[in-house]
Amino acid sequence: MNYLILSAILFTIGAVGVLVRRNAIVVFMCVELMLNATNLAFVSFSHQHGNLDGQIIAFFVMVVAAAEVVVGLAIIMAIFRSRRSSSVDDANLLKY
Amino acid sequence: MTGSAVLNTVAIGDIQAPHLEYGQLGPMLLVFGVAVLGVLVEALVGRGWRQFIQVPLTFAGLAGAFVWILVLGVKDKPLHVAAEGAVGVDAPTLFLQGTILVLALVSLLLIADRQNGAFTPQASALPGSDAEREGIASGTVQSELYPLMLFAVGGMMLFTAANDLLTMFVALEVMSLPLYIMCGLARRRRLLSQEAAVKYFLLGAFSSAFFLYGTALLYGYAGSVRLSDIATATGNNAGSEPLLLAGIALLSVGLLFKLGAVPFQAWKPDVYQGAPTPVTALMASCTLVAAVGATLRVFYVALENMSWDWRPMMWGVAILTMLVGAIIAITQTDLKRMLAYSSIAHAGFLLTGVIATSQAGLSGTLFYLAAYGFTTIGAFAVITMVRDAGGEAGHLSRWAGLGKRSPVVAGVFAFFLLAFAGIPLTSGFTGKFAVFKAAIDGGATPLVVVGVISSAIAAFFYLRVIVVMFFSEPAADGPAVVTTIPTAAAVALGATVTVVLGVLPQPMLDVAGQAASHLFVR
Amino acid sequence: MDLYIPIIVLGVLAFGFAGFSVVMGALSGPKRWNKAKLEAYECGIEPTPQPVGGGRFPVKYYLTAMLFIVFDIEIIFLYPWAVAFNRFAGWFGLIEMVLFIATVLVAYAYIWRRGGLEWD
Repeated sequence: MNYLILSAILFTIGAVGVLVRRNAIVVFMCVELMLNATNLAFVSFSHQHGNLDGQIIAFFVMVVAAAEVVVGLAIIMAIFRSRRSSSVDDANLLKY
Repeated sequence: MTGSAVLNTVAIGDIQAPHLEYGQLGPMLLVFGVAVLGVLVEALVGRGWRQFIQVPLTFAGLAGAFVWILVLGVKDKPLHVAAEGAVGVDAPTLFLQGTILVLALVSLLLIADRQNGAFTPQASALPGSDAEREGIASGTVQSELYPLMLFAVGGMMLFTAANDLLTMFVALEVMSLPLYIMCGLARRRRLLSQEAAVKYFLLGAFSSAFFLYGTALLYGYAGSVRLSDIATATGNNAGSEPLLLAGIALLSVGLLFKLGAVPFQAWKPDVYQGAPTPVTALMASCTLVAAVGATLRVFYVALENMSWDWRPMMWGVAILTMLVGAIIAITQTDLKRMLAYSSIAHAGFLLTGVIATSQAGLSGTLFYLAAYGFTTIGAFAVITMVRDAGGEAGHLSRWAGLGKRSPVVAGVFAFFLLAFAGIPLTSGFTGKFAVFKAAIDGGATPLVVVGVISSAIAAFFYLRVIVVMFFSEPAADGPAVVTTIPTAAAVALGATVTVVLGVLPQPMLDVAGQAASHLFVR
Repeated sequence: MDLYIPIIVLGVLAFGFAGFSVVMGALSGPKRWNKAKLEAYECGIEPTPQPVGGGRFPVKYYLTAMLFIVFDIEIIFLYPWAVAFNRFAGWFGLIEMVLFIATVLVAYAYIWRRGGLEWD
């Protein structure tokens, strides 16, 4: 149970981080924190229910998170190289 | 139960090979297989040849998968659970997958049209750099586009078929990751395009984290991620209520984000405007079909016993989506952005079909998706044809007087807009009628009233575009209409289907009705 | 406790080898002192003072790091497979893993042929 509370806290920290931080990389790290919080929840639920599904799911989540990291960093690098800034506040050409 | 006991229960005996129904999984395996083959082509074939191999290969893969689906649909009454329960192969799924494949084929016409020059020759080259100019001069394209598209389409097919939440999550990512990259590949207005990619990526990753946490909570509630097990658990009232409700809420956030429903619509206008128009066409049609398909399955199968709990929330979302989409669209001056808001409003109409949770609701939604997909691809195809010196002329003022200079193109575009508005004798009318009728039968009359009001508001800004095109003087340096065969074919296909489904909708309604007759497998 | 004996033996061997290498290196190696040897070790390149604001990394590092992440994380599926390898009935386990590795190899072939592994 304590693990679930920890996971909820981590998830919330990640979600708040996404909303308040400006640097795209930091925003992205907060998303990864959310995914890892989810992994913690999966593993503790797996323990609680006594089946292995949750632990297997955690593996898949890790792989998906890695793929997301690679794609995300590539996109952030591309925009950083053409703008010299990775602040999400500077990405403001598209609006209204 | 302790951890070691868990391991002991599993450690008994040999691991049996899972039973995989290759025949039923074939269409998806084919698309993914061709995508991997495409990556191999990128690795081994010289630069000049890649495009010539990739385009036919992609066409063949998509068309082959579509034929396979037709065979599966005709041969037997499809109502199976395949791959040890991970994938559901049933009639609505096959209908949605077939729709996705056909729409992807039409979008491929736009993507493969090299003359419209929508894509950057080298994504890694800086905008305005020598490397970029060199690439444009040599006429090469970033041909990784085609495998990426195939992976995205494969992910969409799996997304609609996923019968457990883990498969659904993996499919969601397989579908989204290539799309994030494809958004950033525009040749002109590179900064806009890259900005769209970053926004789409960050918001998409954010929403998929919500989806995953919802999955975790539902797993905690039901002890399984299978949709049918979750349904059973909710029926027995097993587990803790807060866990279930929080899980449903978080899961819905992820799904509604992909649909572009208010209040998770913020990405849609930016991404649709910034992405290369052929990619926008793919997203506006195929991704929407996939997202609606997955939403349908989750709400029809896993959460059917909970409809008293989620229905008020979904009512609110649907009403907001229909109204906000239509109202904000009025102030738009960029055509792609306007169509994005129109797509948000259409997502709201589709949600009324989801809320109905009936056979009629399902068949209406299926028909609506097919009809809307063709119309929207046609509309975006027309946008790629109207060009300035700097690429597509996206601003509404540039379209002034287009009806006088090229009446056919303007006429077809006006027809698409009327279909969006839902004027009779277009497919838009039939689709809306089917969905709204199902909603009224399901007791959601207020929703339908809001839907009709929203359609009326939407008709206003569609008509404004038509007025600008036909009743204002063309500017001296107005945009030229560039017609190429693939793009023209896409427009013609879109227009034909829009007419046929408007004038003679019965055959297609029958197909959708039959597909929906047994609802989803569980 | 019997379960842990191999691990303990392995640990002792590892520590023993490490200690042996350090001691032997100190005893048998030639000793020539110069200034460069006393500086901080940075992968063999000459250390540069910390630039203002943290400085920038060459973009090469980023590409290598990302490729490493992708290929490294694929291993995660190999571990449970390897642990359970002798319990698979029939050829299924082997064939599936060969297919999986082949797919990863396709990605590797792409990176290799398109110059993703070239350092300069």
